[in-house]
Amino acid sequence: MTKRVRIGSGSAYWGDMFEPAVALAERGEVSYIGFDFLAELTMSIFQRAKAKDPEKGYIPDLLTLLRLILPAARKHGIKLILNGGAANPAAAGRAVAKLAAELGLTGLRIGTVLGDDILGQLDDLAADGWVFENLDTGERGLDRVRGDIVAAHAYIGSEGIVGALADGADVVITGRVADSALYVAPLMHEFGWTFEDPDWDRIGAAITLGHLVECAECVTGGMSNVWESASCPWDIGFPILDVTDATDGVSAVLEKTPGSGGIVNQWTVKEHLLYETHDPASYLMPDGIGDFTTLQIEDLGDDRVRLTGMSGRARPDTLKAQIGYRDGWIGEGQVVFSWPDAPGKARRGIDFLQHRFAQAGIDPLALDMRFLGVDSLHGDVAPPMPMDPDELCLRVAARTLTREQADVVRREVTHLWTVGGLGTAFGTPSPPRPVIGLWPTLVPRAAVRPIWNVEEVH
Amino acid sequence: MELLADIAYARSGDKGDVCNVGIMAKRPDLYPLVLRCVTPDAVGRHLAGLVSGDIAVYRLDNIEAVNVVMRGALGGGATRTTRFDQTGKAMATALLRMPIEEAS
Repeated sequence: MTKRVRIGSGSAYWGDMFEPAVALAERGEVSYIGFDFLAELTMSIFQRAKAKDPEKGYIPDLLTLLRLILPAARKHGIKLILNGGAANPAAAGRAVAKLAAELGLTGLRIGTVLGDDILGQLDDLAADGWVFENLDTGERGLDRVRGDIVAAHAYIGSEGIVGALADGADVVITGRVADSALYVAPLMHEFGWTFEDPDWDRIGAAITLGHLVECAECVTGGMSNVWESASCPWDIGFPILDVTDATDGVSAVLEKTPGSGGIVNQWTVKEHLLYETHDPASYLMPDGIGDFTTLQIEDLGDDRVRLTGMSGRARPDTLKAQIGYRDGWIGEGQVVFSWPDAPGKARRGIDFLQHRFAQAGIDPLALDMRFLGVDSLHGDVAPPMPMDPDELCLRVAARTLTREQADVVRREVTHLWTVGGLGTAFGTPSPPRPVIGLWPTLVPRAAVRPIWNVEEVH
Repeated sequence: MELLADIAYARSGDKGDVCNVGIMAKRPDLYPLVLRCVTPDAVGRHLAGLVSGDIAVYRLDNIEAVNVVMRGALGGGATRTTRFDQTGKAMATALLRMPIEEAS
C-alpha cells in the first residue's frame, strides 16, 4: 500500500534564520519539521556551559525559535524534531515544558532523547582494549589528550526519536544524533519500518533524503553555484520532502515553502548531495549506509525535483564519535594599511610582527598571515596582488600553547596602528579564543544505548 | 574553455581536517572532460599550498559529478586552523580556478 508524508527542514545550524522555519510551519503543509543546530565544535562549547550550570548546556536559540513556531505547529498538528538539546537535552526539555505552559499549550507532549554522551564510558572502553583510533591522523589511544578531554559524544541514530514519536511526542529534543536521523526517524515511524526487519534500500533512501535537506537553505539556493538565480534570498524558503513509500520503493519530490524565495533545481540538489561527504557509494550513518550513486534526479521545474532509485546497505556495528579536548589558544588581529605604497607598509608590518613575536619568545604552533581581499581564501592559488591597492588588510592568526601568548599576538598587531606607517587602522580586535581539538573516532554500537522519555505539559 | 569553472560547478565542505569538493559537469557531454581533468595528481598540484594529505576522487556517473576528498586540507580542521576560511567553503572556488590544460 502506498503511503505519503511531507517533512520540512527548519534549521541548518546554531544561529540560522527563524522566519523561514515559521513560514514553513504556516504554509508548508508538512507533518514534521527537523531542526539541526549542531556542528562538530558545538558539543564541546555546551558541555562546558553545562559544567558551569547543570540547567544550561543546550542551544539558547531553541527557546527563541519554539516561542515563534509552537503556535503554528500546534495549529497544524506538526511534530518538531530538534537536536538543540546539545549537551543537555533533559534541561532543554524542562525549559521547553516551561515555555509551552507559559504559551498555554496544555497537553503538548515533549520527548527527550539521551544516550549520546559517552564521556563517562571512555575509560571503561579503554580498559576493555578499545583504542579510539583518530580517523583524521591515525593516532591510537587517548592517553596524550585524556587529561584535556571536555566532551565525548557518539552520533546516535533514529531509535530514540522513533521511540518518542511512538509514545506520542509532539516535540522531540535530542543531543548528538546524526543529522540525517532527524528525518529518518519520522519516515520509519510513519511508514512502520523497523530495524528488527530492515529494508536497507528503504532506509538508505531515507538517509539520502535526510542528508539532502538537513542543511535547510543549503539545498534551496543558499551557498549555491546558482545563487544569482535564486529569487528574493531574503525570503528564502526552507526545503520540503514529499516522500512516497510504495511497493517498488521510496521516491520523493524535493520542493520548498510555497510563495518563498530561493531556488530548487537539479544543481541545488546535486551540490548538496555531495556536501560534506566522502565515498558517495557509502554514506555511513548510524541508521544504515546510503548509496548516492544510484540516485536519479529529475528536474520538474517550478522549484521541484523528483528523486528516485535510492538505495542502501546495512548499518555498521560501530558509531562515529567526536571527542573534544583543550588544545591551546588562537590569537588573532587585523590591520589595514593605506595608500601610498600599502604593499610596502604591509611588508614592513610583517617584518615588525616577526621581530616582536621573537622578542616576546613566542613560537606559534601555527601562524597565518594573509591579506583579506587578496589571498585569505585561496592562499597560493590566488592571482598576484593587484598593483598599488588603495588599502590592504593584513590578517594575522596564531595558535599558541597559552592564552598569554595568544594575547601577545593580538596586542602586537594593534601596535602597528601607532608604530606602523602613516594611515594605519585596526578596527576592533577580538580576545584570544580557546581551541578545542577534535578527535573523530569510532565506538562499538553495543556500548551506546539511546534512551527516551516523553512528558505532557500541564 | 580555460578553467574548470568553465565546465563545472563545485561546492566544498569540511569534516575535521578533511575537505571535500563536489564537482558537477555543467552539461552531460562535459563529464568526460571533468573526469580527465579532475585527478588526484592534478588537484594535488593545483592546491599544493592548501592540502598536505592524500586525495581521492570518486565518480558519480548517475549525476555526471565527482567528489574530491582531501585529507590534511584545512590546517588542522575548523576548530584548530589559523586560516580565515575555517571550514574550507572557498576550497571549491580555489579548485574551480584550475586551468584545464594543466590537468589534461
